[in-house]
Amino acid sequence: MKTSASKSWLAPQNFISFQTWEKFGRRALNFFIFGFLIVYLFPMLYMVAVSVMDGPQLADRNAPAYPARHVRFEYQGQSYSVYKVPFENEQIRQLALIKPGRTSSEFVDPANPQAGVIVWNGNWRKLIGVYEFHLTFENFTMLFNYPPLGRMIQNTLVMTLIAEIGVLFSSIVVAYGFSRFRLPGGDALFYILIATILIPEKVTLIPTYFFFVRVLDWNGSWLPILLPFFFGNAVYIFLLRQNFKSIPKDLDEAAMLDGAGPFRILFQVLLPQTWPTVITISLLHFFYMWNETRQAALYLSIRRDLAPISFGIQNFQSLAPIQNQLQASALILMIVPVIVLILSQKFFMRDVVVTGMEK
Amino acid sequence: MDRVRKPRIKFDRYLGILFISPWIIGVLFFKFLPILASFGISFTNFQLLTPEATQFIGFENYIRLFHDEGVGYVLFATISLGLTSIPFQLAASIAIAALLNNRGLKFGNLMRTLFFLPSIIPGVAIFFMWSGFVDPNTGWLNKILESVGLTGFNDLYSSGATSLLFGISALWSVGPGMLIMLGSLQGMPPEIQEAAQVDGAGPLVRFFYITLPLISPAIFFSIVINLISIFGGVILLDRGNGFSGGFSPYDSYVSYILFNERDLGYAASLAWFFLILVMIVVIALFSSARKWVYYPDREA
Repeated sequence: MKTSASKSWLAPQNFISFQTWEKFGRRALNFFIFGFLIVYLFPMLYMVAVSVMDGPQLADRNAPAYPARHVRFEYQGQSYSVYKVPFENEQIRQLALIKPGRTSSEFVDPANPQAGVIVWNGNWRKLIGVYEFHLTFENFTMLFNYPPLGRMIQNTLVMTLIAEIGVLFSSIVVAYGFSRFRLPGGDALFYILIATILIPEKVTLIPTYFFFVRVLDWNGSWLPILLPFFFGNAVYIFLLRQNFKSIPKDLDEAAMLDGAGPFRILFQVLLPQTWPTVITISLLHFFYMWNETRQAALYLSIRRDLAPISFGIQNFQSLAPIQNQLQASALILMIVPVIVLILSQKFFMRDVVVTGMEK
Repeated sequence: MDRVRKPRIKFDRYLGILFISPWIIGVLFFKFLPILASFGISFTNFQLLTPEATQFIGFENYIRLFHDEGVGYVLFATISLGLTSIPFQLAASIAIAALLNNRGLKFGNLMRTLFFLPSIIPGVAIFFMWSGFVDPNTGWLNKILESVGLTGFNDLYSSGATSLLFGISALWSVGPGMLIMLGSLQGMPPEIQEAAQVDGAGPLVRFFYITLPLISPAIFFSIVINLISIFGGVILLDRGNGFSGGFSPYDSYVSYILFNERDLGYAASLAWFFLILVMIVVIALFSSARKWVYYPDREA
């Protein structure tokens, strides 16, 4: 170890202490990630900004990026917009437009209204307005006063509740069967379970759609959307099975010796230990139902009164003459519960990780 | 011990079947039977509005499929989407996961959640945000570019603007992939890296020869997820139409034949053709996995 001792003066800590290096590196890293995150989430901010903008702003090319409105000036009992007006002596004055004209317009100086009317030669449409920062929450009040909204939210919540009950119960029971019993065919059934995840949706959709719509006449009802959830979901079954398998079998056997049947073992021994995964699955399914538009478009387009909020908002433009701002506020209404849910609990992220880890 | 009722092994088998029976029924009625029915329908001229007039027409649908220019186009589009977005998503998810895996990171959990966040907001909202954001007249992208002194995009559908839009919106769906990579990175024993460092391996060598092989199961899983969503399937997180599943050009073409032309027979043959293609890709992927995916227990 002679060499390392003789070369130790080359190590960076002799110039700058190692702690300083590390501290600097950490600062730089945190700074970089924070900056990256801001760029990454920037379009979200755009939507928030649009939702508090006034109606005309989005159509106005010269309007600033932030929520703003034209500065207006009261003159002789009426309100006029203020523009930046260039004059020949390279001076730009902020004047209120009183009488627009194609070749010459009349203005008044808000700072000095007594001076009277100023005539300016040129096309007023080429002038750039003067803007001031302005927030409006009118979009949200309009949205809450829009009658179908409450019903759409109610539809989503009722559908989600039914689907959650169905998918959770069936997936838990099936996962228990896969994890604790020796099944005929052994692993083959489990491989079939995994393979069903990989089947493209359209192959099964064509006969199913025909059967539901033409044979059972379920078009315009929730049944074709909700029924399949009562037969389990392959991804959730897979997740739960991994979790059940990680619980030692000794626990089941101890409960069995105490006289517990299989259902009691499942619900009183295994399930209390897999709550985090059950919560993860119910969240995954909530997100699915909350965002789902494909099935709704298939079966509910003839019964708009049964449609969930995701489908309703997607078709907002066709339902009512609605502005972009209103749609932005509606979308914010849809995103907020999702953000609150995911920030308020800690299991979800961990379990999505586990899904990918185990084999 | 007198409370033990029956030896367990005896009814194990039947009870197990009983427990998985909901899934068996579901698979039969919502997967196997429809797939077989699709196969049957693909040989007929089945129309949604006139099911009575259905006739067996042999391979006519498949012949039409091979002469359909639309099929060639959407197939090419689907494959190029896969070849561009899968590597991009993989690289981005590994990069973000590697950043977030750093020990010096502050607010690690919050950061992770915030990077994941765009993956669960509805597809409708994402479409609205991005199309508004890049709007040539009023969007923020041009305003930012102009304020830095660059010229903005005049046309949203110009190739530059579109590829930028698709690139960044692909970055917005790295959530699940990123979490999977992160989990894999965190599960890696630090001793291996330290041992390599002592042996004189630099950071790049360590990344390519140690980190990447060790997280290869996560990479494999991530490829499968991305592949399925490009093929129009749903894994883990579905954000609704127009973004994850509906993003697949082939899938949209089948929808078009199905709902606009209402030609169920032809749509079924398209779907079956696609099923075969998907199965070939999936089998190829799974059999290639033996060569490049590292499983520690297989070594022993």
